[in-house]
Amino acid sequence: MPDIILDGVSKLFSKQSQAVENLSITIPDGSFTTILGPSGCGKTTTLRMIAGLDSPTTGEIVIGDVVVFSQKQGTYLHPSKRNLGLVFQSYALWPHFTVAENITFGLKINSIGKREINKELEQIATALRIDNLLGRYTNELSGGQQQRVAIARVLIMKPSVLLLDEPLSNLDATLRMEMRAELKRLHRETAATIIYVTHDQLEALTMSTHLALMKSGVLQQFAPPLEVYDQPINQFAADFLGSPRINLINIKVKSGSVFWGDNRISSCEKFAGINEKDMCLGLRAEEFALHRERKSGALEGKILTVLPTGADWFYQVQVNSDVLTIRHNETPAFVCDEVIYVEPRPNSVKLFGENEKNLTPEKL
Amino acid sequence: MIRFLRGSSMYFTPERVLSVCFIGLLAYLVIVPLFLMIQETFIVHPLERFQIPGSQVGDFTLSHWYRFFVSDSAYTFFYRPLVNTLVISFGLSFLALVIGGTLAWLVVRTDLPMKETVSNWAVIPYILPSWTLALAWISLFKNDRIGGEKGIFFAVTGFETPDWFAYGLFPITITLALHYFPFAFLLIGGALRNIDAQLEESATLLGANRLTTVRSIIVPLIIPSIMATFLLSFARGLGTFGTPAFLGGPVREFVLSTSLYANLIGQRPGLGYLAALVMILIGMLVLYMDHKMVGARRSFVTVTGKGARASLIPLGKLRWLVLGTVLCFLFSVIAVPLVALAIDTVMLIPGVYNWDNLTLHYWIGEASYSIGLGTGEAGIFRNSQILMALKNTFTLAVVVSVVTGLMGVLVGYAIVKRRGTFIAKCLDQMSFMPYLIPSIALGATLLAMFAIPRGPIPSLHGTFLLLVIVCSISALPYAVKAGISAMRQVGDEIEEAALMVGASWWERMGKIIIPIQKSTYFAGMLLPFISVTRELSLVILLVTPTNQLATTISLLFTDRGWYPYTNGIVFSLTIIVVICTVFSRRIMGTSLAKGLGG
Repeated sequence: MPDIILDGVSKLFSKQSQAVENLSITIPDGSFTTILGPSGCGKTTTLRMIAGLDSPTTGEIVIGDVVVFSQKQGTYLHPSKRNLGLVFQSYALWPHFTVAENITFGLKINSIGKREINKELEQIATALRIDNLLGRYTNELSGGQQQRVAIARVLIMKPSVLLLDEPLSNLDATLRMEMRAELKRLHRETAATIIYVTHDQLEALTMSTHLALMKSGVLQQFAPPLEVYDQPINQFAADFLGSPRINLINIKVKSGSVFWGDNRISSCEKFAGINEKDMCLGLRAEEFALHRERKSGALEGKILTVLPTGADWFYQVQVNSDVLTIRHNETPAFVCDEVIYVEPRPNSVKLFGENEKNLTPEKL
Repeated sequence: MIRFLRGSSMYFTPERVLSVCFIGLLAYLVIVPLFLMIQETFIVHPLERFQIPGSQVGDFTLSHWYRFFVSDSAYTFFYRPLVNTLVISFGLSFLALVIGGTLAWLVVRTDLPMKETVSNWAVIPYILPSWTLALAWISLFKNDRIGGEKGIFFAVTGFETPDWFAYGLFPITITLALHYFPFAFLLIGGALRNIDAQLEESATLLGANRLTTVRSIIVPLIIPSIMATFLLSFARGLGTFGTPAFLGGPVREFVLSTSLYANLIGQRPGLGYLAALVMILIGMLVLYMDHKMVGARRSFVTVTGKGARASLIPLGKLRWLVLGTVLCFLFSVIAVPLVALAIDTVMLIPGVYNWDNLTLHYWIGEASYSIGLGTGEAGIFRNSQILMALKNTFTLAVVVSVVTGLMGVLVGYAIVKRRGTFIAKCLDQMSFMPYLIPSIALGATLLAMFAIPRGPIPSLHGTFLLLVIVCSISALPYAVKAGISAMRQVGDEIEEAALMVGASWWERMGKIIIPIQKSTYFAGMLLPFISVTRELSLVILLVTPTNQLATTISLLFTDRGWYPYTNGIVFSLTIIVVICTVFSRRIMGTSLAKGLGG
C-alpha cells in the first residue's frame, strides 16, 4: 500500500496562469486526505495530475515506489496503469449503458472472464446497495444512486487509491449528510487511500484524516483537520475553515497588555509576550462567554440580531466598532438590543501579524 | 505512432495527432487550391496561346487581368455579369426577407389558424433543388421567341409572356427568392420566438401602445436576424449556377457564376478563374460584414430567457382570409411548379396541351428519332446514361455523407479536446473556410488544383474521387459544427472515465463517444446526403461525360432543348429528396432548421 508523494509539482496552463505552484506533499498510505480550497485554487488540477489526466509542467509524482510522472526523467505512466480510481464531479456515467454495463465496462475491456465479472458485480452491487438497479439506465436513477454507481464502477477495478472530485456537490443537503457517513464507512472497509477534493470546509472537517488547504495554486497548510482548525497557519486558513466565519478583531499589544479598542482584555494576557503593536486576533464563534452582568475582562456589547438554530443561538453582537458572530447555548436566550458583556475565551492562539501569518502556531 | 493509439504517450495524444493531420489535409484541399487558382490567373493556358500573340504555354501573363477588368470586352466578361449578380442577389435577399419575414410574423405573433401546416410547408421550397423553380418557370411561361414552343400559361390564357418576364434577371430573382425565403422564415421566426414576453409587457406597463412596442422593442431585437438573413441569402445567391443558367442563358444574360462556367468550358480558363476569384472576394466581404455588423449583436437575441409567451395579435375576421392567401401562395410555389414539371414530361409534343398528346414516352419509351422530339434517347427509366447518372448521384451522396460524418466526428473531437489552444482555433477556422467560398468557385479552385498532375498526385479531373472531395469540403463546416456541439454535450469526463479503466482510443470512440451521440451523427450524415443529391453548382465544373450526375445530365438535356427529360429527372430527384427529408424527420427527429446552419 503506497504513500503518494508529490515533489515540486507545478502546472502552467499558459504563461500567465499558473494552476499549481511548486507543490510538495506526502499523502500517507491509508489516509483520507482532503484537498480543500476555493474554486480555482488548483485542487482539481492536482487531483487530475495524480490521476494522470493532466501532466505537471515540472516536478515528480510517486505512487508507492513507482514514479508515475517525472519531468526530468521524461516518465509518464498511463492513468489506467496507476492502479487508482477516479470518481468525477459529474459522475460521468455512460448514458447508453445500463448500471451493470457501466460497472463492468472496465473489466470487460480488460478481457476478464464472464463468470468472474458477474461475481465481482454481485459483490460490489450488494455492498453499495444498488443490486436492485442493475438493469436500469443511469438517467432513471436519483443523484445518490448515480453516485453509488460511479463509485462501484471505480471500486470494481480494486484500486489502491480512490480519487473523488467534489462528489457530493450535486446532491441535496440531506443526501449529502448521508453520503458523508457512507464515504467514511467506505474508507474504513476498503482501507484504500482516498484523496477527496472539495470546496466545502464542513466536508473536509467531518470526513478527512488529513487536510491540504490550497489557495491560488499554493499549498497553505497540510495537517489533520482539527489542527488546521485550531492552529491555522495564516489568516486565510483561519477564515476558510469554520462556520460561521471566524471573527477577526483588530487589537493592540502595549507594554505587556492586550487592548481591544480602549479596553484591556485580561483573558488574553497570554498573548501579551508577543512583541508587535497592531495585530489581528482570530476568535471563533464558540470562543466567547456572554454575561448579563458587568465582569472584569468582559467588554460591553449590544445584541443586534438573534438567530436561533434550535440547538443553540447565533448572536450578532456589536462591541466597540466590531460586529461579532457568537454561538451560545445557555437559556434564557438574549433578546435584540439587550446590553451584554462579552468575554473572549480563546481555546487556541490565532494571532496574525502584518503578513497575516499566525505568530504563534505552537501550542501554548 | 502506434503508441498514441494505445494512449500510452503523453505528447502524441490522439487529439493532437488528429488536429495536425486535419490541418494538413484542409490546407492541402482548401488553401493550396485557392492560391493555385490565383496563380492560374497569371498563366497562359494551352487554349489561350493563340489569343495572346507570341506566348508559350505556362508563360507569365497579365493579359487575363487586362482583358477581364480593363479591355473593351471587360464589360461583357466582368462588369455586366457583376452588376447582374449584385442586382439579383440584392433583389432576391430583399424579396426573401419580405416573404419569409411576413410568414414568420404571422406564424409566431398572430392567431393564424393551422400554424403547424404553414410552418411545415414553408420550408419545402428550400428542400427542392434550387433550379426546380427555374425549370417550372420555363414550363409555365416560356414564349416562342426563343424556346420554340409556348408554355402552359399561354395554353391556358392565350396571353404570350414578354421576354423580360419569361427570361433574364426578373425570373431569376423571383425564383431564387422563392427558393431562399424559408431561410428568412426560420431565422426570423426563431428570433421572434426568443423574445421574452416580459420585455414587451414591461413596455406596455410603462404605457407604450402596441405600435410603439413593436417599433422600439421588437424591431430592434430582431434586426440582427434580419441582417443575418439578408447577408446569408445574398452570399448564397452569389454562388448559384442552375437558375441563372436556365433562365439567363436563352437571352445571353450572364451572372458571375455563369460567366465563370462559360469561360472555363470555353477557351478562357484565365478569365474563368478571375470570375471565381471575384466571387470569393465578394463572398468573404459579405460574411465579414455579417460577422462585424451582426456577430456582436446576435447574442442578445438568443440570450433572453424562456419567459412567458407573448399574447398573440388577433387577426379577427381576416384570419381565414390571411390563411387562404398564405396557403395559396405556398401551394403555388410548391405544388404548381411540380405539377407543371410533371405535365411537361407526359406531353409528346412540347407545348401542345391536349389529351391526345399524352404519353409516357419520355419515361419508358424506347430510343427513337421519329417519336415526339425525336431525340434518339430512351425514356428515363430505360436510358442507361440517365440511370447511370442517378446511380452516380446516389453513390456520391452515400460516400459523401459517410466521409463528412466521420470528419465531423473527428474534427469536432479534436477541436473540443484541445479547446483554448492555438491549434484548435486554427482547425476551427479552417474547417469554416469552405463556408465563405461560393459553391461554384469552390469547384473552380479544385479544378485549378487537380486538372493537371502536380507532383506525385495525378490529375483527378473526371474522377469520382474529385466529386467526393468537393462535396465533402463543402459540407464540412456544417458537419464540424454538428460534431463540436455533439462533443460538447458529451463532455470530457465521460471519455476520461473510460480512459481511467484502460480503454484504448478506439474503444473510447467506438464504445462510448460515438454510440452516445449516434442519433446526432446520423442526422448529420443525412443532411449532406440530401444536399449532394440536388447539388449542381458545386460539381458542374468537375464532371466529365464519364461521371455525370443526375443534376448535371439534366443540364445537358436542357442545352439541347429536351425539356421533358430534364423535367423528368428533376421531378424524380425532388421526390427522392422529399422522401429522404420526411424519413429523416420521422425517424431521427431531425429538423431542417439545424441543417441550414444560419
